[in-house]
Amino acid sequence: MAEMMKGNEAIAEAAIRAGVRFYAGYPITPSSEIMEYLSWRLDEVGGSFVQAESELAGINMVIGASACGVRALTASSGPGISLKQEGISTLCDEGLAAVVITQVRYGNGLGTLLSAQCDYNRETRGGGQGDYRCIVLCPSSIQEFVDLMRPAYELAEKYRTVVVMMGEGTLGQMMEPVELPDFVEPERHPWALNGHYTYKKIGIFERDSRKEAVELVEKYNTIKANEQRWFDEGVEDADYVFVAYGVPGRATLGAIRELRAQGEKVGLIRPITVWPFPEKAFAKINPNVKGVITVEENATGQLVDDAALYIKKTHKDRNIPAYALTYVFNTPPIHSIKEDYFKVKNGEIKEVY
Amino acid sequence: MKEIVFAGSGGQGVLTCGLIVSDIAASKGMKVTWVPSYGSAMRGGTANCTVKYGPEQIYNPSQEAPDLLLAMNDPSLNKFLPIVAPGGTVVISDTVEIPADVRQDVTIVRVPCFDLATQLNNPRGANIIMTGAITKLMGDFSAEEAIAAMNRMFEKKGKAKFAESNSKAFAAGFAAV
Repeated sequence: MAEMMKGNEAIAEAAIRAGVRFYAGYPITPSSEIMEYLSWRLDEVGGSFVQAESELAGINMVIGASACGVRALTASSGPGISLKQEGISTLCDEGLAAVVITQVRYGNGLGTLLSAQCDYNRETRGGGQGDYRCIVLCPSSIQEFVDLMRPAYELAEKYRTVVVMMGEGTLGQMMEPVELPDFVEPERHPWALNGHYTYKKIGIFERDSRKEAVELVEKYNTIKANEQRWFDEGVEDADYVFVAYGVPGRATLGAIRELRAQGEKVGLIRPITVWPFPEKAFAKINPNVKGVITVEENATGQLVDDAALYIKKTHKDRNIPAYALTYVFNTPPIHSIKEDYFKVKNGEIKEVY
Repeated sequence: MKEIVFAGSGGQGVLTCGLIVSDIAASKGMKVTWVPSYGSAMRGGTANCTVKYGPEQIYNPSQEAPDLLLAMNDPSLNKFLPIVAPGGTVVISDTVEIPADVRQDVTIVRVPCFDLATQLNNPRGANIIMTGAITKLMGDFSAEEAIAAMNRMFEKKGKAKFAESNSKAFAAGFAAV
């Protein structure tokens, strides 16, 4: 029987089972229970836990653990993830594998504790300095979060990059029945530091940044080609295709199934990777589709930019409108999504692009 | 799919009420979600959680239109009565006042949980009494399977010693409606 578990605790246990043996971070609602759980649990499996003096210190400790070949984790939210950006950029620069969990909360500056999707642009664009991208996974249930933990490390290590697991407050705080995965014992990577100065030291001025950049772009193109993940339903014959991820993604699935039952030809793409964005799902969309509609927990409409770009890329001969239903924070009720769909259909809600 | 909102003041045990119902449903192999109020929402003195359960996939775990509302105090009734589904049920404690202009399309059931808890010599058991009453009103689980699931949940939390008093409180609530 699947046991009821709190999201953050299930995620933390899944991290242990995926082989995480180092955590450093600083608490912040709504992600704190991840580190609270790991504070005692890592010790049981011979790992190390540090409540760092700041988010900056935490991510820098993750850099060190990762360089030593340990599966390392940090977790935070909103402003805490902002503070980690320099470290994330450094991890990407050094080609180090790590997973960063963010349980997104709404607002600018210090923000609020409300569940939201306002940090989409930061996570998908690479929120730190430079010219990099992180793989961004966005589960829609606790089970999916738990099941993605091991693939997150496998992706991070395969491509030697940072994987961001972008949840939201609700996913951290809610409970659902969860089946936990088995334990894995990760192998130590041959490139990891071993304390014997095995590798040639390369100073900052000896680097060939042009060559590195070309290699990085090749790596990102490989990720884009091979690592798109998504769920879709009803897109081939749809008049309108919804695009939504995370908890709003699953609420939208409920909405499209009810709308289908009412005779509306609607579909859904629920990205599981938002970088790389699931272009292959957009290629499946009905060539005669009348529009794409995003459902977002933010005010400005962020996902709609990608939805518009990718429908343009996959349906080049037509100018298909992209609409954004922005609910600011908290999961929109299914009836609201349905009502707003009809407003799109009858022209009350105008397209963004 | 059924939706229940459990609301009261901090310390009245409404989050636990929701947890027990969640565990009962999960023990029957149902799909379940439990979403609490957290953080700053807790600081106004009210706490609430939303539980959804049923045999099918739960799309939206968040509060929408509860089939049943538990209101342990007046602010909870005022806050959540407007979202109760038409034809829904509202369970209130002994201390809640029913406003004169209350909605007529819902059924209000008063369960004197604090009084019953005193009679059972279990003053902290009011929330368990309410859980029993709610289980009966929802009609999805028998008292026996519900009590077994509740006791298993508390046992896992290292609180097995309360099994007897919890069982009595649950049964009293189940019998009160």
